[in-house]
Amino acid sequence: MRAIVAIIKPHKLDDVTEAVRDAGVQGMTITEVRGHGRQRGHTEIYRGAEYEVEFLPKLRLDIVVDDGDADKVTDAIVAAGRTGKIGDGKIWIGPLDTVVRIRTNERGSEAI
Amino acid sequence: MSRGKMLVAMTLVVFVALIAVNQFGHGGNGDPGGTKTGSYSTPTKTSVNDTLGASTTPRNVPVSQTGINQLANETGHLRVSINFTWLLITGFLVLFMQVGFAFLVTGLTRAKNAGHMMMMNIAAFAVALLVYYVVGFAFQFGGVSPIANLGNVSPLNGIFGHGTAGVIGLHGFFLQSGNSYDVGVLAFFLFQVVFMETAAYIIIGAIAERVSFAGFLVAEVALAAVIYPIYGMWVWGGGWLAQLGNSIGWGHGAVDFAGSGVVHATGGWIALALAMILGPRIGKYRKDGSVRAFPGHNLGYAVIGTLILLFGWMGFNPGSTFGSTDLRISIVAVNTLLSACAGAVTALAWTNAQWGKPDISMTCNGMLAGLVAITAPCAFVAPWAAVFIGVVAGFVVCYSVRFFDSKAKIDDPCGAISVHGMCGVWGLLAVGLFADGTYPISGWNGVAGPVKGLFYGDVGQLGAQMIDIVVGFLWAWGMAWIIFSLAKRFVKVRVSPEVELEGTDAGEFGQVCYPDFVQVTETDARLQDDDLAIPYLTLEEQAQVSTPARDGHAVGAVPHDTG
Repeated sequence: MRAIVAIIKPHKLDDVTEAVRDAGVQGMTITEVRGHGRQRGHTEIYRGAEYEVEFLPKLRLDIVVDDGDADKVTDAIVAAGRTGKIGDGKIWIGPLDTVVRIRTNERGSEAI
Repeated sequence: MSRGKMLVAMTLVVFVALIAVNQFGHGGNGDPGGTKTGSYSTPTKTSVNDTLGASTTPRNVPVSQTGINQLANETGHLRVSINFTWLLITGFLVLFMQVGFAFLVTGLTRAKNAGHMMMMNIAAFAVALLVYYVVGFAFQFGGVSPIANLGNVSPLNGIFGHGTAGVIGLHGFFLQSGNSYDVGVLAFFLFQVVFMETAAYIIIGAIAERVSFAGFLVAEVALAAVIYPIYGMWVWGGGWLAQLGNSIGWGHGAVDFAGSGVVHATGGWIALALAMILGPRIGKYRKDGSVRAFPGHNLGYAVIGTLILLFGWMGFNPGSTFGSTDLRISIVAVNTLLSACAGAVTALAWTNAQWGKPDISMTCNGMLAGLVAITAPCAFVAPWAAVFIGVVAGFVVCYSVRFFDSKAKIDDPCGAISVHGMCGVWGLLAVGLFADGTYPISGWNGVAGPVKGLFYGDVGQLGAQMIDIVVGFLWAWGMAWIIFSLAKRFVKVRVSPEVELEGTDAGEFGQVCYPDFVQVTETDARLQDDDLAIPYLTLEEQAQVSTPARDGHAVGAVPHDTG
């Protein structure tokens, strides 16, 4: 099993969720987060004084998939979440020991 | 005795004292029942444009005259009723401005201080109102001449001062002394107390986010008891500034229709003194002197607040006629709107030109600037002048905010000093320039003829306005400086750095306005240690500030001392 974490632009949420569902994903978790990449943040002006907004608002998707589905789902997120401009976000993927469905106590792939 | 029981005992003592004061009020010429006010036998002949009411006495009249007398009685009573209704309803509108200001200043400050801001607003109202009831009203209006629109029966005729040099009023303490238990006096009190409250909440905007609640209450008591009423007496209560026309022949003396000076400049200058003594918020100025913005947590609140204030100002200015039988009210109301919108558009355009995008909070400040500036001249100027006054006010507030923020380095989170102080001064000046001689017909401050500004041939009026401006500044700023400097020795007027960083909600009240929201903002999280040096504090105080505990406190668990 694999854990896919995707940081995306907030306004891309609908496109991305639709794409990953089409790719066969059943469930996912999203979180409102703030962060920056290579470009860092930017400055804003409030009443004439500048202030730095270093961490920009993003959404984080947590998705758990079977090993065989990881590439398909990742491609779907990239295709749907991409605008081509700075700040589109990032995806990272890692191995996962196990998954448990709390209601039934199922373990492993059954629980996805 | 526990502190709670002590408070109950003190309350009982105060009640006994109030009953004692009540005894002085009997057998006088007040009209608590409201039946005599406005009858034809009370002289209602006024110096303005009133022809009703002759010197006829109700005794020994022919039978045919009885019906006519009855009619005159009814008419006089109705006339005063209409004016009472107008005065009270516009007073309620001004009262509603308290809501607008609570929204405005809370929106322009950070979430961690929102509860503190709101608490200051409600406490300012309650504390200042009671103080004004006890002494402030008497100091301000204890010697005001009878007001024709309210029936002309006024027991408020105690004045301290010689001839045209009245300095303080003496009747109306507790709304009892000098037979002031009277329908006209109390209607007038309602209208005047909400004006005082306006000055009382103005100061919050400049001292926000670092003043201690105790220090704030000291400032409120000083404002409501002494600073506001006494200067107010000089201009509105028949005092020496109002009498400059009679004493040295300068125009109609200080003319301030609804209080650009009495209310707004006074509030603004008190705010200036307090903000200077308190010093800027931690981190407002970086070590290199550059300004760091602390974005307000809810600009929506700021806009809602501004629009509520605009609505309330429809009572503030037109109500200052004290009666709707003075038909000038329509001109006053429209002038007020024109100036407000001109101020808002100017600030909007200026910030857009200056920073590339229009600034929401500065547009709000621009609208308030227009309102403050038109408050003194609204009854005396033509609509074109109202627009001009608003445009200038819009520029004044933009340059003034920038000046206080980056040049003078006086931290004013909501722009109160610029909006109310600077634009209040501009409003007073505008009377001396643009008053066009159409109002009133005669008799403002007891001087014959209408009020005219420099452009309409009366240079003396401008002189009187300038004296008013200088005296108002020296009095309000100076008194606030003296009182707050003294208070600083006995009361901790500024919260500790720990409380300031944690948020005054938790530190001062142990409760937060938004318990379910994330409290840490990016600006706060990135303060550098060398940002923590605070100008205006003594070296000792700065040393105390330089090593604050900045982390590890749970909300509400910060040890603090509000003095």
